[in-house]
Parts: sequence; structure tokens; C-alpha cells
Amino acid sequence: MTLWTIVWLALPLFVGFSIYLLPGAGRVLTLAVTLVSVAYATLLFRQPAPVELRLLDSFGVTLLADDLSAFFILTNALVTAAVVLYCWHSGRTTFFYTQVIILHGSVNAVFVCADLISLYVALEVIGIATFLLIAYPRSDRSLWVALRYLFVSNTAMLFYLVGAALVYQTNQSFAFVALQGAPVEALALILLGMLTKGGIFISGLWLPLTHSESETPVSALMSGVVIKAGVFPLVRCALLLEELDPIVRIFGACTALLGVAYAVFEKDTKRMLAFHTVSQMGFVLAAPEVGGFYALTHGLVKAALFLTVGILPSRSFKELHDRPIPTPIWVALVVASFSISGFPLLSGFGAKVLTMKNLLPWQGIAMNIAAFGTAISFAKFIFLPHGPAPNLAIKRGFWPAVLLLLLGLVVANVAYYDAYTLANIAKPLAIIALGWLAYGGIFRRVTLKLPQVLENFEHLIGVMGLMVMVLLGIALT
Amino acid sequence: MLHACVYATILLGFFGIIFKENLVMKIIAMDVMSTGVIALFVLVAARTGVRTPIVGILPRDGYADPVPQAVILTAIVIGFSIQALMLVGVMKLARDNPTLETRAIEKEYRP
Repeated sequence: MTLWTIVWLALPLFVGFSIYLLPGAGRVLTLAVTLVSVAYATLLFRQPAPVELRLLDSFGVTLLADDLSAFFILTNALVTAAVVLYCWHSGRTTFFYTQVIILHGSVNAVFVCADLISLYVALEVIGIATFLLIAYPRSDRSLWVALRYLFVSNTAMLFYLVGAALVYQTNQSFAFVALQGAPVEALALILLGMLTKGGIFISGLWLPLTHSESETPVSALMSGVVIKAGVFPLVRCALLLEELDPIVRIFGACTALLGVAYAVFEKDTKRMLAFHTVSQMGFVLAAPEVGGFYALTHGLVKAALFLTVGILPSRSFKELHDRPIPTPIWVALVVASFSISGFPLLSGFGAKVLTMKNLLPWQGIAMNIAAFGTAISFAKFIFLPHGPAPNLAIKRGFWPAVLLLLLGLVVANVAYYDAYTLANIAKPLAIIALGWLAYGGIFRRVTLKLPQVLENFEHLIGVMGLMVMVLLGIALT
Repeated sequence: MLHACVYATILLGFFGIIFKENLVMKIIAMDVMSTGVIALFVLVAARTGVRTPIVGILPRDGYADPVPQAVILTAIVIGFSIQALMLVGVMKLARDNPTLETRAIEKEYRP
């Protein structure tokens, strides 16, 4: 297994750089690499004990692969595969596939690392690859979005490095477990880096613009997996260290509410989905024990939604209400929306039940409100008018990609079939019904435009300073 | 004392990123900040001594800790490549926004 881990980790980077030798085979090779990741994740699920790999003698540079990693790796593999299928006929250059494959490899690396420095390197590679993917159209606007992303992520990572230095100073080790007993300021700085990278709470407000203004496949990739590279270390740390668990749970509940509050009032499809990602990351963090399964279902659903929304004729809900969308596309939208609202028969249901079961008592109300908000925001998709619309060109790669993701949702449903009890089924149905009522009664008519001022570049950086203070306060108490 | 200087550098860089209007100045401020972080790692490494950690005829104590230095070497390379990438991006942006004022650019490319 050790050997497989190393081969699987090195393969994407190796293939990524050698794609240029076989320019025609870019998409095939990328797809092949994602299949290897699927195989590795399956292998990992069958392992009785976690795989642990110590790379250097006593400085805590380690890899750790277990069930939790397997869920995240599977998400990464499926979403990347779907994105490659989506781009299959679009004539993208070798450069694009090189970046996709390197991104895939570095995200995989995050999902198995258990120390601060491997994490740092992997996150920075992700930052660079994502920058290049966002800037792929080479327009000024995409360049600015990409630059803004790289700026925020790099500044956060500098704070993170300061934290890592302080942890090493205390414990002579970079392992996650060395956070135990590290000074509070180190903890606060490291958490700031992870929170910003993972798009959590107000440090995640860079996310809506970045995810919504990128190209469709890149948005799907970012919301589906890249964002989880910031969330995974938080989940891992919460599981390894008891003292971090409450902090992570608090941020989970806060970000779930914040994201959904914006999503409910958003009138733009892609921005709504992006804000919703902020909220869903909260669900992953709210119950770290079962975060893996939730991340899997969210990745599949969000990638499917971004790909579907990308081919709609307009981004504004208002315009979409005036023009019917083709019924097959509407069905795809509805299946994905049902899953994310927690409707039975789709894996979103199992994930939500599992998360709700593992909440602490004080989180219950917050998460139920967030679930209610989710139902409201996705009612916007479900109640779109649909019918025959002849003049909408659908990309050739669209259906294979979306079918793969939706099929994944149905299949993943069997992972937790214990969820099907009467009480478990009744609750999400009630929440969805209430959400639809609220949507029809109130939110459909309300036009409230929430201020976007916090998304200004200076504020994004300034909020980091603020968050350090907040984190210090939380860590001290 | 040295610690205070290092933290002051990091903070100055951070405030530079916030308060400088020009995009190139922001990138330079970020470079200042990362210089501070690098200095911090060197300082942490020098805690046990300042002698170069090479095994030889010299006495076996007072060595600097090689691990943080090795780590920060990676971080320096990453930091410099990110900076290069950003400057290329800024060069392309400068063709249409010659002043490179962040606020103006932001307003222009806002949906």
C-alpha cells in the first residue's frame, strides 16, 4: 500500500509535465489519471487500518490516508473526470489539461498529508494552478479575478507560515498533532490560513466572485474540489486534536448561516451557487466525523449544478423566469437541487441525516435554519419554467459529464442506507415543504440587495487581520 | 529585539498590502511581508546556535537547526514564483489600465 500511495501521488505530476511530449493525448491522459485516483480511493476504503507514511525521521513530515481521505479523493477524481468529459470537444489546449492534472495531483496531496509543511506546499501549488486556470481565457477581467485570488490566498499562506514557524519552535515538529500545546497565536495564524483557503465565514468572502466569474468548467472544479483542500485540514485537525474540535464546529455553524443568508437573496445563478458553497462547507465542518461523506455529495452536486447553469441562456433568475428552459436540463437541475436540499433517494439525504445526527445540541438550531435556507434557495431552480426550447445549443460533452455526477449521487446513496427510517424521511420533507412555502410566499417577491462591500479587495485582506484577533479571542477562552 | 524587528517587517508588509493603492506596490508589500516570514524562520533556526550544520572537525554544539532552513528554502522558491506570476499578470493588466489603481480596476471588472 505504501508503494501504491507514492505511485498514485507522483503520477499526476509526472503525467502533467510529460503531457507536452504527447500533445494530442492531453484529455485522455487526464481522464486516465482520474481513474487511477478512483481505483486508489476504492483500495483505501478496503484498508482495515489507516496507511501512515513517515517521510523524514523525526520532524513530523508524514502522510496519513484513511477513510476520510478516501471520500475526499473520490470526490476529486469524479469531479475532475466530469470536467474533462465536459471539455472533451471544446478544443482546449494542452496547457489547460496540464493545469487540470497538476491541480488534481496537488489536491490529492492535501487529502493525504498530515503535517503543516506538506500542506503548505500542496496549497501553494493549488493556488498557482488555479490562478492559471482562472486566467486561461486571458481576458483582463479573468486576469483580475485570478490575481485577486492569488493575492488573498498567498497572504493567508504567509500568516500560516508564521504559525508553522511558531509551532516548530515549541515542539520541534511540523505534524498536525504538534499543534497540541502550541502557543495560541500559532494556532490562530494557522487556522486563519486554513479558513481563508477553505472559504469559511467572513474570510471566505473572496469565494463568490472568484467562483462565479470563472469559466464554467473551472467554477465546477473550484467549487467541487479545490475549496475542499482548505476544509480538509480543518476536519483532520478537529479529529486529531480535541481542543480544536469546538472551534471548528463554531465556524461550521457560522459559515453555514452566513452563506445561506446571502444565497437566499441572490438573484444571479452562479453567485447563488458560490455563496451556497460557503454555506455547505459549514455543514462539512459542523460534524467533522462524517465530513467526508458530506464533502463527496456536495462535490458531485455542486459540480453538476455549475456545469448545468453554465449552459443556461442567462445568469439572472429574473430573465430565466421569462424564458422556459429545455425540460431535460430542468430535470438535471431538479435532481441536483433535490439532492442538495436533502430529498430521500439521493445521497444528499443520507449525508444530511448523518451530519444532523453527529451535531452537538447547540448546533442543532443553526444547522436546521441553514437547511431551511438551502431549501429556499434551491426552490429558485426547481420552480423555473420549462418546456421545449429549440434554439439552445448544448455542448457535446455536457450530458456525459452531468450524467456521471448525477449517477454518482444515486450510487453514493447506498453508502448509508440505515438513514431510511420514518422520522429521518419526514424531517427533510418537512423542511423542504416549508422552504418552498417560504419561497413562494415571501422570497420570490422580495428584492433585497445585500451589500457587496465586504468583497472589496482591501476588505478581504483587512478581514484577515480582524480574524486573527477573533481567533485569538476564541482560542484564549 | 530581533523578534520585534521581524514581526514589525511582517506587519508593515501586511499594512502595505491594504493601504497601497497601486497594484505593483501591493505586490512589493507582499514581498516585504514574505521577507519577514523568511527572517522569522531563520531566527527560529538560530535558536540553538549559529554555526553552519555541517559535520566536520569543528565542535559538535552550537549548530543552527537545519530543518526550518530547509523548509523556508522551499517557501522562498514558491514565493518568488508566485510573485513572478503576479507581475506577469499585472503587466498584461497594465496595457488597458495604465495607472494600475486597484479601486479603479475593481470597479471596472465588477459584475
